[in-house]
Amino acid sequence: MEQRLANCWRLTVNEKKFIESALLSDVRVDGRGPLDYRKLNIKFGKNDGSAEVQLGETRVMSYVSAQLVQPYRDRPNEGTLSIFTEFSPMADPSFEPGRPGESAVELGRIIDRGLRESRAIDTESLCILSAKLVWAIRVDIHILDNAGNLVDAANIAALASLLTFRRPECSLGGEDGQQVVVHPPEVREPLPLIIHHLPVAVTFGYFSNENLVVLDPTYHEEAVMTGRMTATLNANGDVCAIQKPGGQEISHRVIMHCLRLAHVKAGDMTAKIKDAVEKHNTERALQKIKRHSSSVAVDVCGTTASLGGKQNQSDGDKEGSRLDQLKLKDETKSMECDATSSAQVQSNKKDGSSKNFVGGPSSWDPYSDCVNSDLLKASLASRGHSTPSKKKDSRRETKPEEPQNEVKIDSAPMDTALTSGQSNEGKTLKDAVKPKHKRKKKKGSSNNAN
Amino acid sequence: MEMDRPDGRSPNQLRPLACSRSVLHRAHGSATWAQGETKVLAAVYGPKAGTKKNENPEKASIEIIWKPNTGHIGQADREYEMILKKTFESICIRTIYPNTTTSIVVQVVHDDGALLPCAINAACAALVDAGIPLRHLAVAICCSVTDNNCIILDPSKQEEEKAKAFAYLVFPNTTVSVVPEKSLQAGSDPMAHGIITSVTHGAMSVDDYLHCLERGRATTQRLSEFLRKNMEPKSTREASKAG
Repeated sequence: MEQRLANCWRLTVNEKKFIESALLSDVRVDGRGPLDYRKLNIKFGKNDGSAEVQLGETRVMSYVSAQLVQPYRDRPNEGTLSIFTEFSPMADPSFEPGRPGESAVELGRIIDRGLRESRAIDTESLCILSAKLVWAIRVDIHILDNAGNLVDAANIAALASLLTFRRPECSLGGEDGQQVVVHPPEVREPLPLIIHHLPVAVTFGYFSNENLVVLDPTYHEEAVMTGRMTATLNANGDVCAIQKPGGQEISHRVIMHCLRLAHVKAGDMTAKIKDAVEKHNTERALQKIKRHSSSVAVDVCGTTASLGGKQNQSDGDKEGSRLDQLKLKDETKSMECDATSSAQVQSNKKDGSSKNFVGGPSSWDPYSDCVNSDLLKASLASRGHSTPSKKKDSRRETKPEEPQNEVKIDSAPMDTALTSGQSNEGKTLKDAVKPKHKRKKKKGSSNNAN
Repeated sequence: MEMDRPDGRSPNQLRPLACSRSVLHRAHGSATWAQGETKVLAAVYGPKAGTKKNENPEKASIEIIWKPNTGHIGQADREYEMILKKTFESICIRTIYPNTTTSIVVQVVHDDGALLPCAINAACAALVDAGIPLRHLAVAICCSVTDNNCIILDPSKQEEEKAKAFAYLVFPNTTVSVVPEKSLQAGSDPMAHGIITSVTHGAMSVDDYLHCLERGRATTQRLSEFLRKNMEPKSTREASKAG
């Protein structure tokens, strides 16, 4: 164990004296003023609800996932929010893997208090069935690089990821209205969380000289400072939480001054976070538009007009088939991004409570719900089958011929499109017409998506 | 046998690669490696003093910490840690600094198939960034066998789940791009044609496995070149700083 301690970094006396004397002339080692924040950079990942924040050199990553669970007994109408912080050993050689240390727990608690107690996240909207099913939101915060002021950076990361997180939409169905159906993102647009306000944490560092106060301390300043206070405020000026864990005694005048400062900084930070989220949302919306425009062309259970359109396409040369393929590929590409988030949610869901709600009978009826064409495409994409028949085996070519015959018996409008479209998208129409096969493959595809 | 993949790649085509070094400031070496959507961040600390109890103190030991995206560390993560540990123990020159520990921390940023090869590549780049002495670099590739016995490289998550079997293969990087003549000599370096690690899932025939090996080895040249190109600019910049 001593060998591990030997790897810890220690501040030298010279560095300590230099930092303190520089602060007396209002100069910090990295050239900032005492009340300036470092440069903030917020990036979002491919999934909904993943964000990476860089505050100067400090780097924090945050993920949000949702799961269906039973609510707490004393709060049957509310969902739950839990924060898990991980001080990854890559952030600092002194962070040990395994159980979180006390600073990790403290960080988690500060963020938790800011979000939960101030009711920033609306937990009542997370309730699906009172006393039976609610959404449990889980925020995982990974600290990647420790260059000081982890609390602020982690808080911003948690807020950014919560703002961009989308939970799947669910509806009540079944005979008694008790069955819950969770719709994957391809079927229905997932919903954002309802967030009333953004509690921003602002950390101050105090030194042995009472008049010295710095905002957003770096790693070296943290080693020198003698006291610390984190104030969590929102842009309206409401104090959500204050954390001052012992350390140097500070007069109340200084504390009030700090709170006023924090109010200003919280307003700045909130604006920056909202800007970044806005930009990300517009990009996401553009991607969604691409996906929906391509999905219209392949709508199977639409009107005969659309079928006719498809027939014209497929009546043409191989160009038509290529167009279809390209469109399919485009949407599978953009669908993969969303499919991963749905897969994540679905897998979390499956890991969680035992009840599986995807298999409700009301959602799988192929003829009543037009939306199922998207599910077909999802099952298509997950199987990644080969659409062109030109290179299929003879073994495979017999398969499309069989349902072709069956289809002619079944429905007339589907007929014409089938025979011509068969060569291009044998499996799509085969799935649409044969509910028996479709159900099996659906379950297979939903398992695959998981 | 031709086969169309959902994202339009040919069976031998890899996803776009992206690698960046020295992304973290505290770690001695760090790198991110992305293959398509799969992205992994690796950081290296070392060599640190001391070894763990059940490690051989006469050699440098490698410690791997695998951090998944969400959730607690499970059995699969422990398995990945073990595979990476054995792989890097054979790459690093362990006799140089005995009784030290080099830690490699791997953080999964996004998983879209071929996670383990991506992690191995990232960790290798991070080791180079940290300056840990290595015998040779390692390049990892995933080959999967689909239902119609077609071998595709670098499958995405959907393809991996549908595949009949897949294999993660780690090869030493080839010397072809450095010294073109040497590769033609048959007996020059026996280990240059070896495999470092092979992890398979699912059942495949022996022929299929050998095909996978061939395809994988052929791709390692491209991967090695990419890896080398990413290592170079950093060193020239540092050289110009020193000079």
